[in-house]
Amino acid sequence: MKFLLNHLHKHKGLFMPGGKLAWLYPLYEAQESFLFTPPDTTQSAPHVRDGVDLKRVMITVIIALIPVVLFTFYNTGRQFNIVNQIPDATALDHWTQGLAIVMPVILVSYIVGGLIEVLFAIIRKHEINEGFLVTGLLFPISLPPTIPLWQVALGVAFGVIIGKEIFGGTGFNVLNPALVGRGFLFFSFPTRFSGDVYNVVLDIDNVIDGYTGATPLTLAASVPQGESVIEALTEAGFTWSTMFLGLMGGSMAETSALASLVGGVILLVTGVGAWRIMAGGVIGLTVAVTSMNLLPADSFIPFTQLPIYYHLVMGTFVWSIIFMATDPVSSAATLRGKWIYGILIGVMVAVIRVANPAFTGGVLLSILFGNVMAPMIDHFVLKAHIRKRQVYIQSRNSRYAKS
Amino acid sequence: MHYISLAVETIFINNIVLAYFLGMCSFLACSKKVETATGLGLAVICVLGLTAPFNWAVHNFFLREGALAWTGVSALAELDLSFLNLICFIAVIASTVQLVEMILDRFFPRLYTSLGIFLPLITVNCSILGGSLFMVERTYTFPETLVYGFSAGTGFALAIISLSAVRKKIRYSRIPAGLQGLGMTMILTGLMSMAFMAFAGIDL
Repeated sequence: MKFLLNHLHKHKGLFMPGGKLAWLYPLYEAQESFLFTPPDTTQSAPHVRDGVDLKRVMITVIIALIPVVLFTFYNTGRQFNIVNQIPDATALDHWTQGLAIVMPVILVSYIVGGLIEVLFAIIRKHEINEGFLVTGLLFPISLPPTIPLWQVALGVAFGVIIGKEIFGGTGFNVLNPALVGRGFLFFSFPTRFSGDVYNVVLDIDNVIDGYTGATPLTLAASVPQGESVIEALTEAGFTWSTMFLGLMGGSMAETSALASLVGGVILLVTGVGAWRIMAGGVIGLTVAVTSMNLLPADSFIPFTQLPIYYHLVMGTFVWSIIFMATDPVSSAATLRGKWIYGILIGVMVAVIRVANPAFTGGVLLSILFGNVMAPMIDHFVLKAHIRKRQVYIQSRNSRYAKS
Repeated sequence: MHYISLAVETIFINNIVLAYFLGMCSFLACSKKVETATGLGLAVICVLGLTAPFNWAVHNFFLREGALAWTGVSALAELDLSFLNLICFIAVIASTVQLVEMILDRFFPRLYTSLGIFLPLITVNCSILGGSLFMVERTYTFPETLVYGFSAGTGFALAIISLSAVRKKIRYSRIPAGLQGLGMTMILTGLMSMAFMAFAGIDL
């Protein structure tokens, strides 16, 4: 490592102001702070002496995402092998197959998004930020495995430029860039995000007859009056445990609640993910779904009667509330605001799922909506707090005046 | 139940700013501070809630085809004055705003001063006229118009207050020189309406 550091420092002059390659300074800085701790110190007070910086926070998120990504490789390959009727595929075959499908998507996202980030860093003279490592991974695995690579490139470009860079880079943005890209793709190419696309079919002739592509949510929303949603789901092969483990089709990262929970525990233990947001989301969904369960069964669609423990493992809820909603930049910043923000998302998820026939899986859109509302929530939480303090101080002052 | 779903639909799904892009001028211009935006939002709720029912009455008792049948004169009953809709609506809106202003000034001076210039300004806000025109186009009944007016105003208030809070946040952002101010606000409006698209298609 000493050798690397010496090498970096030997060439540092080239990149400093006045050097030949000064315009490439962000690239140099990125290497140095990625490999080592940057030697910069604060020039004036306040001096925060804490080992936790943006780099460490973002790397923690990446570590928390590892179980999800590993499971994604396995499950995508498994779905491919099932749909294409490759009978004697072993677990290792699933892995390699999944790797071949998922890896290009992730790579395209990292390369295109990374290039844009570097370009903006050089032109606008800001540092290359580790935040992109998270965006560039969250975005591709929120897509269905059949997404064409050019759409991945388009989505990540839109997300990074419009969602982040025009605001000035990481920390200045209002919306989660991964969600902006995802939302943009979702509304531009809606057919890519519904029905059969979740099954990786490369060779159309070999598909099993009657292999339906409906996801549990689409299925649940279309159960006819008078029938039980749970029965319909079980009949189609979606039991509670299948959905919890995630051995089924769907957007790449969303299927397994278990893998996401492992990542969630890492985020919670390290304190990187805001537990208030996650708890708020679960509470919001629980309250909304439970009150829907109380509606008269015969005048509303059967989906309203589905119990909460099914809602929790269905679709992309667990993954999104753990990794997408807790983005520290775009979520609410005040503590009480985090509760409100989480609950808002949870309630909206339930409403969109049950009441919106256009897109049943609205978790990511709910979080985008939450992002838009977060500054307003913060503003009013702060206002209420200020008012409370004013009342307190006034009453205290009058007490002192008396005594 | 019907009225609740109409209200939800108007506030979120058919948000008058973010789905129809009406009232853009004041939406973009008066969203720099949250306090101003709140004032304008309240004023729009107030005026839309009043003018939509007034215009409903004007339309249904005077201008609509056959609206004058209540006079009992057959020549009048055949008249179709709906070509006067636009000009009458504008007149009604302008006079209502004047009236509201006087009433507020007399009885609620605090609210009057906090709304300030926005009350007269929204006379020419297109979302107000839009609200009345939608009321005609969708043939709302009177109670529906009441609900519609208030919830369209609420939708406007929600949109402008959240935009102003977002703009307060991006005051610290490093926005390129060419995009500062209105340019960024327009991009934000686009992103916001993308987020509001989450509701598009909800069938209540």
